[in-house]
Amino acid sequence: MVDKSKDYKNDFIHQGLNATDTDYHQRGYHLEVALDVNQVRKFAQTAYDLGFYIVFVAGLHVRSEEGNDQDNSGLEVVYQFARYDQLYRIKARVSVPKSLKVPSISDIFQGADWHERETRDLFGVVFDGHPNLKPLLLSEEDSNFHPLLKQEEKLKSLDEVSWKSGVPETTEKEANDETG
Amino acid sequence: MLESEYQEYNRFFLNMGPQHPSTHGVLLIVLEMEGEYVLDPQPVLGFIHRMHEKMGESRPCQGFMPNTARMDYVCALPYNHGYVSLIERKAGIEVPKRAEHIRVITSELNRIASHLLWLGAYLLDLGAFTPILYGFDDREHILDILESVTGSRLTYCYHRFGGVYQDIDDKFIEATRAFIKRMRKRYVIYEKLVTKNIIFIKRTENIGIVSPDMALRYGMTGPNLRGSGIAYDIRKNEPYSVYPEFDFEIPVGEQGDCLDRYMVRVKEIEQSLRIIEQALDRLPEGPIRAKVPKNIKLTPGDCNFAVEAARGELSYYLVGDGTSTPYRLKIRVPSYSNLSCLPELGSGILLPDLVSILGSFDLVIPEIDR
Repeated sequence: MVDKSKDYKNDFIHQGLNATDTDYHQRGYHLEVALDVNQVRKFAQTAYDLGFYIVFVAGLHVRSEEGNDQDNSGLEVVYQFARYDQLYRIKARVSVPKSLKVPSISDIFQGADWHERETRDLFGVVFDGHPNLKPLLLSEEDSNFHPLLKQEEKLKSLDEVSWKSGVPETTEKEANDETG
Repeated sequence: MLESEYQEYNRFFLNMGPQHPSTHGVLLIVLEMEGEYVLDPQPVLGFIHRMHEKMGESRPCQGFMPNTARMDYVCALPYNHGYVSLIERKAGIEVPKRAEHIRVITSELNRIASHLLWLGAYLLDLGAFTPILYGFDDREHILDILESVTGSRLTYCYHRFGGVYQDIDDKFIEATRAFIKRMRKRYVIYEKLVTKNIIFIKRTENIGIVSPDMALRYGMTGPNLRGSGIAYDIRKNEPYSVYPEFDFEIPVGEQGDCLDRYMVRVKEIEQSLRIIEQALDRLPEGPIRAKVPKNIKLTPGDCNFAVEAARGELSYYLVGDGTSTPYRLKIRVPSYSNLSCLPELGSGILLPDLVSILGSFDLVIPEIDR
């Protein structure tokens, strides 16, 4: 019998990954993992060894923070994994460097193959080590056109599209301050 | 002639689709063949790519509702259900119990319609012409029932944020109960016509075996996964709406061949009928729509919502930025992951077996291409 309430946070922390618990009822996933580019493969291997299945790989375009982080293209790659035997979802996020190169996980999870090709189509992220990074959803002629990249004026910074880390009371207070 | 030269001579490429009758839509599979054997089938996607995700990001969240039905047009209501539930989770909207019951009833009716269409079309792929006529006959009843409340027969836009578009009446309940009764009688016909047919069994048994490890690596979900013996159904594993209140089972197969996938879907029709029956019995009185602000603000941060569509796990992943327009909307569709295993599953098999496997996957191409 599988333990239905097992928490996998420590398994990822033991691998040196930055994992934090999240509120499932608010966000729809249990664990958030912030990855460094060179940790992507280690994370995927850990997820495979623990018996997770791949849900999707997707991209996100935000304004790149100039100054404090030089090697940041503004693109993010989001991974989601879940389990067949219990309710547990993981979201992992990695910032794409200026070279646009992120290691491919398509040899660990073969299902990532198409998701990575799709992300390359829509955002232009280059998955390093992918055996066949050709356009999948878009046509071959449009291989340099990435429709989900946002225009400069519509871009928001990562902080603006992330959950506020502070306690809710402070945000309420701030809101009151603004009106008052 | 040397053996290697002979092999070289016998090797050729074959385009299956995009107009091939057994690809059910515009799917092209480039097959590397050696005689009758398939060496490497590579699906080519994107013929009807419409960039739904971009449309979702460029208008307020209400405006995306019609799009949800145009991805999986065969089973559109679970797509409605997933999207409204996502926005409700993000904006913290409570849905009245009656509305949730109606959502479940209509979604399950739609699931049966989808399985019936699949059953007919799959057997048509295998050369049996009659079952599709029976399937369409039954499906027609469901479409009539759904038309009476949703106003459409295929691309439904019935669920709304906080509830549903309009209430169901006694006529709807009566017609649905009559359909349940009818459908249970029809099982006997399907059993005699299809399930025990020796030709059908020869075309499906031990063909296209998906192992549990393979399912995990490709992220397969839905009946295609359950055929391999893994009882994973979002309705049970990640309960949403009022599904936890109902008593139903998850049918599973044994070894994951085409026959198991067929059996799982046929048994699922009965489980859906059970859910509808219970939902009709317990249908509470009350409002069908909660008060929802006209301009729904999506708070900053990301949010995921998964539902069980007819073909497997459908996940909506939304990133909000404080406005009513999603900053990013990712739609994870089941058929996309299910089909991605084809190059591995389909190498070294006979061409007619590939047709059988493709049919057993229950692909809907607009959902894959989005």
